[in-house]
Amino acid sequence: MAEFHKLLARLKGALETPKAPGAHENHAPAAHVPVASIAQRAELASTFARELEAVSGRFLGTLSAEQAAASVATLARDNAAKSAAIGEGVVTKMSLFSAALEGTGCTLMKPRGIDKGQEKNRAAMIEQFATCDIGIAEAHFAIASTGTFAVMTAEARPSSLTLLPPISVIIVNIDRLVPNLAAAIAGFGADAITHNRVSFITGPSRTADIEKRIVMGVHGPKILYGAIIWPNE
Amino acid sequence: MAEVPNKADFFEASRAGVADLELRRKLENASGRHLEHVAEMRAEFPPFEAERDEARRIKEDTIEHLDEYLIALKAKLEANGCVVFFAADAAQAREYILEVAKKNKVKRVVKGKSMTTEEIGLNNSLMRTGIEVTETDLGEYIVQLRREPPSHIITPAIHLSKEDIGQLFAEKLHTPYTAEPAELTAQARTKLRSIFLAADMGITGVNFAIAETGTLVVIENEGNGRLSSTLPDIFVGVMGIEKVIPKLEDVSYFLEILARTATGQKLTTYTNFINGPRRRGEIDGPREVHVVILDNGRSAMLADPVMREALYCIRCGACLNVCPIYRRIGGHAYNSTYPGPIGSIISPGLFGSAAGHLPFASTLCGACRDICPVRIDIPRILLHLRWKETEGQSNLKWPRAAQRVRKGVRRFAKMAQHPRTIRALGKIGSWVLRPFSRDGWVRWMPAPFNAWTKLRDFPRPHPHRQRKPSDTAA
Repeated sequence: MAEFHKLLARLKGALETPKAPGAHENHAPAAHVPVASIAQRAELASTFARELEAVSGRFLGTLSAEQAAASVATLARDNAAKSAAIGEGVVTKMSLFSAALEGTGCTLMKPRGIDKGQEKNRAAMIEQFATCDIGIAEAHFAIASTGTFAVMTAEARPSSLTLLPPISVIIVNIDRLVPNLAAAIAGFGADAITHNRVSFITGPSRTADIEKRIVMGVHGPKILYGAIIWPNE
Repeated sequence: MAEVPNKADFFEASRAGVADLELRRKLENASGRHLEHVAEMRAEFPPFEAERDEARRIKEDTIEHLDEYLIALKAKLEANGCVVFFAADAAQAREYILEVAKKNKVKRVVKGKSMTTEEIGLNNSLMRTGIEVTETDLGEYIVQLRREPPSHIITPAIHLSKEDIGQLFAEKLHTPYTAEPAELTAQARTKLRSIFLAADMGITGVNFAIAETGTLVVIENEGNGRLSSTLPDIFVGVMGIEKVIPKLEDVSYFLEILARTATGQKLTTYTNFINGPRRRGEIDGPREVHVVILDNGRSAMLADPVMREALYCIRCGACLNVCPIYRRIGGHAYNSTYPGPIGSIISPGLFGSAAGHLPFASTLCGACRDICPVRIDIPRILLHLRWKETEGQSNLKWPRAAQRVRKGVRRFAKMAQHPRTIRALGKIGSWVLRPFSRDGWVRWMPAPFNAWTKLRDFPRPHPHRQRKPSDTAA
């Protein structure tokens, strides 16, 4: 604590010196346009799909929840997945996905948090995620201009779900598709960001550390599938 | 301990770097690719310039009120359940982290890429107490296996070829030799995944700390930062005092310009918002979050009205890739945690007079200022530091070599006023240099002319070429 006050004294002393004049002009922050109409949503979905694929993500389509569940079951079969972890939904019924995957013979893991006194099981549960072939989660927001999913963690939607399995599937509701990063951050709001961990995920895990050659899946998922859920109205 | 720059070593390593054609090939290759990506990303994002200006404005405001924002950040972090420690210098930061490790009986530490922990020499202190420390960023892991420091703040193994890395893995990890980047990456993944699952403590740097919400923002592409801050029971974020930003809404400007400039991406693969320990019932996330906020010479930089601007740096590393000096000598020559142009302005602030020679390692071409996402006027600061280094030295003498160059330039200036003389000398020069030249270049000459050819080639003067006003150097 004493060190903090000493630091503050040093900073206050330092700031007594006025800064050197510069030649840089100030600009007002860019305005962010809210999205409302169906046409705008369709355009955002199209932009999102293009950007997701540009970062090596695989776009499953703009689908109803039932279609998305069937699509996930197909990709589980194609990838010979034996186990999958499914996180709690944000607005989508994830039970549709559970049923579709069970139909493929996949073993399902549904994180439900840790009860009091079960802390010692934590490491074992994390290892289970690590051995799952597929992790499925719903994002709170998706950002069209960058192909990004913004996933907020919860007891039944742990961070490991989108991090440890080699294949990651993330879905997002069309109403939660926003044009840019600033809109997604504004969508969460300061209160939610203060109290929750959020991961912005833009494509599968990648590295360019060896001669600047891009390689996927260095630590996190090697494949990222994304789908936009546009419910039948 | 962290690396401390040394003038004699710098000159020796620079000479070796310039003469190492293979190193130059690797640096040119990697830097060239990076700059292509950056140019593409900037071109397709029209608001880029306006976002740079806004980020600059936010940094100016933050640094001018740094004490107030640090008070707000500390209060929010503590309200979120984090433990905050202010370290005046590297030793205090190291001691605190060691203390946390001891208290929690930590045996294995995984680290995400962090220049600040390199600055304080954290790895060696932890390892001296028997703690196993593993760098998990692929590039950092590679240089750690080679027991050498990173040579670039974004691409630590930029000086190595895929063949070098293949041999390293075969020797150290006992894996079959391959020079295929995808296979090498898979080998590292397998090895590092088991280390992550067994780690007790995760340590990463912090790109931004939001005072309004008490959020640590850690950006990365590999997922190792997320793993380091998610799986181990204890997480330590290490940041310089200048990493604070005031509001949540400010962060998007920085994230967009940082990714575009650092790696040529629109956004990094993972942007992690960490705000405290896991809550009751949560499966993952750390039990304890410690935030070490480091001064280590930064408040002295703040006190200098010109140097203050160096605290705006967001560590994108782009100035290294455009720097003609860095691209020829590589990062290790600087022998500092922060190489390249940004290193030449912040190393004297962090390491004192030991780094006083680094501001002179620049052509002042201004490419660093042009590419800097927050428009830091690096050449101006370099000149200021040069002035500070020589201030008060009234008996300062020009080095003999510089005196010779000055005399030579004066003679040439007189001669250049007589085009006929120049042409005649060109013809004589062409004739004299013919035995030493090949493909239009002179690569070797006997003493005393070898002072030039030891370090660089010389174009053979063309006997019939007429110089025109448009013949300017490229």
